[in-house]
Parts: sequence; C-alpha cells; structure tokens
Amino acid sequence: MSEGREAVDVFEAPVEPESLDLVQDRLETLWSHDESVSAADRIRFEMALVEIVGNIVEHAFELDADARGRLLTVALTLGPDQIEAVLSDNGLPAAIDLESATMPGEEATSGRGLALAVAAVDEVGYERVEGRNHWRLVCRRNAD
Amino acid sequence: MIEFDVRTTDDGIGVVAPRGRLNMVAARQLRETLTGLVEGGTRRIVVDLAGTTFLDSSALGALVAGLKTARQAGGDLRIARPTESVMTVFRLTNMDKVLRARDDVESAFDV
Repeated sequence: MSEGREAVDVFEAPVEPESLDLVQDRLETLWSHDESVSAADRIRFEMALVEIVGNIVEHAFELDADARGRLLTVALTLGPDQIEAVLSDNGLPAAIDLESATMPGEEATSGRGLALAVAAVDEVGYERVEGRNHWRLVCRRNAD
Repeated sequence: MIEFDVRTTDDGIGVVAPRGRLNMVAARQLRETLTGLVEGGTRRIVVDLAGTTFLDSSALGALVAGLKTARQAGGDLRIARPTESVMTVFRLTNMDKVLRARDDVESAFDV
C-alpha cells in the first residue's frame, strides 16, 4: 500500500455464528494490503471486531426471527494512522451502556464481550439511526 | 474452522488441543468436549493452546465452565502454551491469574 492510502473492504454477512469466520477471513485479507500493521494492533482490532459481531449475532435478533431478514453490513478501513470498522444491522435496538461495560468476576462464563472490546481498542461507539444499529470501532495504530 | 485433538496421557490426564480459531462457533464444541471428558471420568484436563490462533470471550467462557466442572468433580483444568493473541485476551479480562499459562503440556500438573 502506498503512503497515505487506505484499503477498504465493505461486505454483507448473514447474522449467524458462522459469519464470524467470514469476518475474520476478510480481515486477514485486509492485513495483506499493509504488512506494516503491528501484531499487537492486529490482535486487539480483531478481538474487538469479533466481540461486537458476536454481540450482534447473540442479541440483535429474536431467536425466532426469520434468518433471511437479518442483515449485517461490515465496512473495514485500514489507513496509515488507524484501523476502523463500521458495523450496521437491522436488528433490535441494543440495550447497552458502553460506559458501564465492566469485566465480570472470574467465575463468570459469559458477559465479557463488550468489556473486552472496550479494553482492546481506542474507541467503541454505538448509535441507533433510522431503525438500524451502528457500531464503530477505532484502533489507532501504534508503532509496535 | 477448528479441529480439536483429544487424547489421554498415561497418567490419565486429558489433553485437548484446539487448532485454529476459537470463536463463538467453536466455543460450544469446546464446552461439550470438556464436559464430556469430565463426565467420562477424566477430571484432570490440559488445554493445549499452542495451535489456537485466536480466542474470544465465548471460548474463554467455555474454559471457565470447563474449569468449574473439573473442580466440582475433584479435578482441575490447566492451560498450556498460549499464543500471544490468546494471552492478550487472558490479560485484558484479568483471567491470567485464574488460567495461569503453563510452559508445556507434560508438566502442567506437576505444580
């Protein structure tokens, strides 16, 4: 990738657990556009992305919702200074408060996802706009 | 996609080695594998993470569930050889003390 350029990948995925592998495959391809992204940044960005997609898969739709009507759009942008993901779905409004996403105790077998995403990257944002959920993740690139 | 290698050592320790990504799909499988071992009488389990390239919070939940199940049966669950990616998850979730990483599978139950 030449200096200052961005690599962008936008795609749709069904809202189901198997889509996590698709998202991770696409991210792997994105990394190949810029070898200079540090291992630490790759790890923390992938971690946050998987947690948010996992959250959408688990919570954005009623269990009996028609699978064909569940749509997730993923936009990944790899720039010289930051890596960004924008996720958008047509599911139920997420009843969450990112400010208070705290890590549960060591005995807990669930409930760590959002707190992990918040801890992993520099920005995690959520908003509900015109009947859709929008998530935005930003990882500012570090030198190493 | 992920594969699980499951074996039992001469000392009766179950060794589970997930190869690939441990995300939401695989977490269910991991949980069932760990529960199955304990129910089958294998109460000491080592999860060998050398080939696990990625682990998310649902897989972490499966490890915690496996740890609880093993301890309730009078055994224990230990983890060995985590990759940097997996160690990052343990650290960010404050689970690195509970799931203390062992250097190798063979000595995971020595101390």
